[in-house]
Amino acid sequence: MMIRGGAATNQEPSGKSFWSFQPLHHSPPPRLRGFSWGVGPIDAFVGKALEEHQLQPAPAAPRRVLARRLFLDLTGLPPTPEELSRFLDDAAPDAWARCVDRLLASPRYGERWCRHWLDVARFGESHGFEHDTDRPNAFHYRDFVIQALNQDLPFDRFARWQIAGDELAPENILAWEATGFLAAGTHATQITANKAEKERYDELDDMAATTGAAMLGLSVGCARCHDHKFDPIATEDYYRLIATFTKTVRSDHEVPTDPAAHQRAMEEFRRDHAVFEQKLRAYEKDVLPSRLEAWERTGEAPAAPEWLTLDGADARSKDGATFARQADGSFIAQGKNGDFDVYTFRVRSPVGRITAVRLDAMADPSMPHRGPGRAGNGNFDLTDFALAWETPGAAQPQPLKFTSAAATFEQSGLPVAAAIDDNPKSGWAVDPRFGTNHSAMFRLAAAFTNSPDTTLIFTLKFNGNNQHNIGRPRLSVTAAESPSLKGEQGSMTVAEASEALRTPRERRSTEAQARLLAWFRTQDEGWKRLDGERAKHAAREPKPDMRRVLVCSEGLPAVRLNTQGPDFYEKTFLLKRGDLAQKQSEAAPGFLPVLMRDGGRGEGWTPRPQSESRTPRHRTALAEWMTDVDHGAGALLARVIVNRLWQHHFAMGIVATPSDFGKQGARPTHPELLDYLALRLIDSGWSLKAAHREILRSATYQQASMGDADSARKDPANLWLSRYPRQRLDAEAIRDSMLAVSGRLDRRMFGPGSLEETMTRRSVYFTMKRSRLIPMLTQFDGPDCLQSLGRRVNTTVAPQALFLMNNSQVRASATVFARLATGSGSRPAAASVRDAFERALARPPSSEELSDVLTFLERQSALYGGADGRERAMTDFCQALFGMNDFLYVD
Amino acid sequence: MSTETIRGFAEPHPLFASRREFLRKTGAGFGWLALSAMAHAESATRPQAPAAGGLDPLAAHTGHFGGKAKSVIWLFMNGGQSQVDTWDYKPELQKRDGQELPGFDKNTGFFTGDVGPLLKSPFQFPQHGRSGCRVSEIFPSMIPHVDDMAFIHSCFTQTNNHSPALFQINTGFSRMGFPCVGSWVTYGLGSESRNLPSFIVMYDTLGRGVPKGHAQNWGAGFLPGVFQGTALNVQGSPINNTDRDPAMGDAQQREQLNLLRRLNQRGQGGAGGEDAELAARIESYELAYRMQTAAPEALDVGREPAGIRRLYGVDEKRCGHFARQCLMARRLVERGVRFVQIYSGGMDNERSWDGHVDIEGNHRQFAGETDQPIGALLTDLKQRGLLESTLVVCCGEFGRLPVSQRGKKPGRDHNPHAFTTWMAGGGVRGGVHHGQTDDVGHKAVVDRVSVNDLHATILHLMGLHHEKLTFRFNGRDFRLTDVAGEVVRAVVA
Repeated sequence: MMIRGGAATNQEPSGKSFWSFQPLHHSPPPRLRGFSWGVGPIDAFVGKALEEHQLQPAPAAPRRVLARRLFLDLTGLPPTPEELSRFLDDAAPDAWARCVDRLLASPRYGERWCRHWLDVARFGESHGFEHDTDRPNAFHYRDFVIQALNQDLPFDRFARWQIAGDELAPENILAWEATGFLAAGTHATQITANKAEKERYDELDDMAATTGAAMLGLSVGCARCHDHKFDPIATEDYYRLIATFTKTVRSDHEVPTDPAAHQRAMEEFRRDHAVFEQKLRAYEKDVLPSRLEAWERTGEAPAAPEWLTLDGADARSKDGATFARQADGSFIAQGKNGDFDVYTFRVRSPVGRITAVRLDAMADPSMPHRGPGRAGNGNFDLTDFALAWETPGAAQPQPLKFTSAAATFEQSGLPVAAAIDDNPKSGWAVDPRFGTNHSAMFRLAAAFTNSPDTTLIFTLKFNGNNQHNIGRPRLSVTAAESPSLKGEQGSMTVAEASEALRTPRERRSTEAQARLLAWFRTQDEGWKRLDGERAKHAAREPKPDMRRVLVCSEGLPAVRLNTQGPDFYEKTFLLKRGDLAQKQSEAAPGFLPVLMRDGGRGEGWTPRPQSESRTPRHRTALAEWMTDVDHGAGALLARVIVNRLWQHHFAMGIVATPSDFGKQGARPTHPELLDYLALRLIDSGWSLKAAHREILRSATYQQASMGDADSARKDPANLWLSRYPRQRLDAEAIRDSMLAVSGRLDRRMFGPGSLEETMTRRSVYFTMKRSRLIPMLTQFDGPDCLQSLGRRVNTTVAPQALFLMNNSQVRASATVFARLATGSGSRPAAASVRDAFERALARPPSSEELSDVLTFLERQSALYGGADGRERAMTDFCQALFGMNDFLYVD
Repeated sequence: MSTETIRGFAEPHPLFASRREFLRKTGAGFGWLALSAMAHAESATRPQAPAAGGLDPLAAHTGHFGGKAKSVIWLFMNGGQSQVDTWDYKPELQKRDGQELPGFDKNTGFFTGDVGPLLKSPFQFPQHGRSGCRVSEIFPSMIPHVDDMAFIHSCFTQTNNHSPALFQINTGFSRMGFPCVGSWVTYGLGSESRNLPSFIVMYDTLGRGVPKGHAQNWGAGFLPGVFQGTALNVQGSPINNTDRDPAMGDAQQREQLNLLRRLNQRGQGGAGGEDAELAARIESYELAYRMQTAAPEALDVGREPAGIRRLYGVDEKRCGHFARQCLMARRLVERGVRFVQIYSGGMDNERSWDGHVDIEGNHRQFAGETDQPIGALLTDLKQRGLLESTLVVCCGEFGRLPVSQRGKKPGRDHNPHAFTTWMAGGGVRGGVHHGQTDDVGHKAVVDRVSVNDLHATILHLMGLHHEKLTFRFNGRDFRLTDVAGEVVRAVVA
């Protein structure tokens, strides 16, 4: 049997036959000969190892000790006196099992175990580097992990969604939030052109290395410069793996929170709305023509507005933005915001003269600071505005010349005239007047008179500054000799109606008659009333509830932070020695061959290409491979996660290096048990709660922490679990326990975090800003959120003692705790002391302890003197409880 | 629980010991600790302290081979000092002032649209010392020390942007998440200090901000947190949690700690317990208690005689802030603190040595802030016999370009290809000029020294072998120098 702690030898199998790369082995639970113990297979495996090492299991721990252990383990909080009695008073044989179930069902469970996974996911809520810019939508990933754990989301799905949730379950916002896993690493800012590609490779490395370490316990990053020295991962495998993420970018993406509910609401709405539409159509068909006829007899003519809006234009963007036509004739640019976009508008020219054209750049909530530009500050930079016309059959469009331009506002140094000059870089911009509409007017050198089949072509270039594109343009034309930007704007239909009226009704074409009606109805009271009712109902169209989430995907606008480079490079190359100057062939997305069985199922994992798909679906392929137990990496995935669970229950994993299952890592102490747990996990449908349940119900877990002297001597490191391993609480549990015991804990779940150390919510709700880590968490060995962390170190240092002695939040908790324990004035001191012990340590004081504390209270009250001496002494005692090993450790 | 064998290696971990060994160890230091689950440190290769039995990771060690330097004071010229205006005199640059630099890649710096022609140094460079060293006129107080200083003129780095370059020179990697030099040194050597942090960082006290990249510059990365730098707070008490609740006096706190000790000794891990970690925690309160007075005392420059205060310029408006920090640094290394790093200048452009605009004004100002204190520090260390055991290092995160950054008053943009580092004391050979840049000081060309080489040299002077000082994390044995680094022998005495 392989021994954890044994050095790797030359005889040990390598490649696919290395233990962790092998398929899961089913071993029947062994029969114990030396002693009778245990309740199931876990105890059989552990007991067998104890026998082999001539060890005895420790007796079961006292029930009080077990209760405190279980509460802190599963929820990170000690039991309240009420919770404790509920368990202690339950004499039923399944009292323990029901207590386990209660705690697994508690929302506190997700908050506690979430933090373990966030360490592995190197979760942070800022970009790091130069300015460590915040990621205001990153916390949704933390909330996803809490919910996934509380809902017992099958772990294979949990893993898959974190790699490709947006592709696998786009209808579920949790799946989108899960991709925050890939997004959680650092992101360099202020990148100059020469450095951009290197930074991009670092980012791909972060995604691949974290995925490898977190899910498979493999240090794939080692193969970046050379074939992995110890594990069978070739450089080529590494580059194929990172190529999965070639076009993957971080994006603050709006996702509907509940698309199904919206769908249902929409169906209902559409049913209702059809009634209004039908009424209107019936009126148009049966009543409106006669109303028009009557009006025509009056001989009135429509009054044309000064500006005719070209609302029928066909709008295109060079960089792939899409345009949503609005009722007012404007277009909202959506999707990709290219660095230097060019918009083209083609529209059938209205009949008549054109003396000037007008461009409105309108404000809209779709843009930063409501625009009118799509740049981060809401600005745009229109460098060229051009107009040409063409007729069918003409060789090429004929340009029209502008003589002058005027605008409602011009940014200093960036006048609108610059948009029609010969300099392709100079342009019109509007800083600092954001969030409001701006308009420009361009006069033609000579009035343009067109024929009915003329098409006008407007070209808008934004060549001055990255992403400074107009977000909601609207174009209009006028025939006025001296037009003004203040002039009334109206739809083209007016002009069309006037034109149609020139022809007597009998000779009017059907099309002209329809255009006339289209205008006339807007004058008709009956139609207006019906249309008003329709519009009123339309306004009640249910809007999907949207949430802005930090996701990782392809084809979405990337979060950009002052970079002179692109968001990604089209191709990922195999680099010799990790050197960008030594690009070899292009790397195609792929998997690690060492984790592909029976020739792998490359085709099977890779989804069929979908032509309309936004994403290349390489991440889906990776996720499928990752969770494929029979042909892919699923067996290792299962081993790694059950080992992580085991580690958090027993302070140390069956494999002591939880993120290194390779040759450099430790060997499993109980390999058959590890595979048993992995197989059980898979059989249970990857239910983590089922795995917890089985572990917690074992006699192994319920042992006392004090074994016999023999056990401490023969197994000093407790490798063989001859007793329960005493553990110090982690930083979060220490802080949360103090808040809970004193009654200060604010139990509200989810939502944005906080950087204030005075916050009294659970520590998992601290914002993980990389440059402002919470000092208390760091002091007690919390993570730095930079690299995947499978196991925290455990230090005992004086600054921790200083924190417990002098920190103002600890004092605040002690003060409140003292008041709680003191109760009403009539309570005897001994009762208060007993109460405080119960609350903090889940046990009463011994008679010696009680006497120590009562003596202390007397002396300390006298030392303080004064009316509040007693209260201060009680506070000092309560604070001392927080400093006790019995508080800081779990037995 | 605190005595576990090392996974994957046959040797017992140096950080684990029995309670008996622990009790044998006396007079533990500030950061005294038991380190039970060295989580990823299945293999941590560092020198062992033979006498201590290795329980205390901050117990002083002699290193792999015993270096002369016991402490480091790293004077960090934050923002990037211009080599051609300070220590790397270039007559050719003076001659070619105003000419284009042929073949210059305009994307080298940050403001790629403002690249101007070659710009001569606005400063005079008289010769000084036995070595005939050319010293910029902005450093008059350092002149007496040039024969004690070793200059490496051929340093280069790999990134032209502040935070990655800061990370690189502090940790060896331009990415985030790796331990810095100070952490590696304290990991390798422990601390001689009693009741003080082993690694202390000071940054700008004039409200100009922290260095770009913030606390990551003195982070311990994957090393245990005990090895991270303690940055002194600019406001309030310099070290967190050293001030007790104002309502509580010393007598009351003493009484409270006595109660805590009694309760702890009655509880688990108390008297007769075999658990060294629990025993260590009980002791940690006594250490913390002593620290409350030791730290403020060590940092109180008011206790220095008037002559010393004058020497540093503590009361000078121009340089008082940096002078106080230099004087604190001396008081700290005197008390056995292993590593002190002081940043000159704050975060934003022009509020540090980051002279994009008006290189002359910028460098006159920051030289004015630092010259007298640094000169005084060297004088003071020398007169106390501390210079021999204190390695003083001075550099920034990169150099600056010989071409101008255009503007009303010309500045200089970032230059990753060349900068000068000087070292003094701690086994350094004085008066040495190692390596050369090209004629105009743009790129290091002769005896090029990478950041890895610089780190290997610092470790060497401390008695640590850079290839042997390793820590395993996520399956890989990490080094400060990654897979590179050569000791610059020329600067070693």
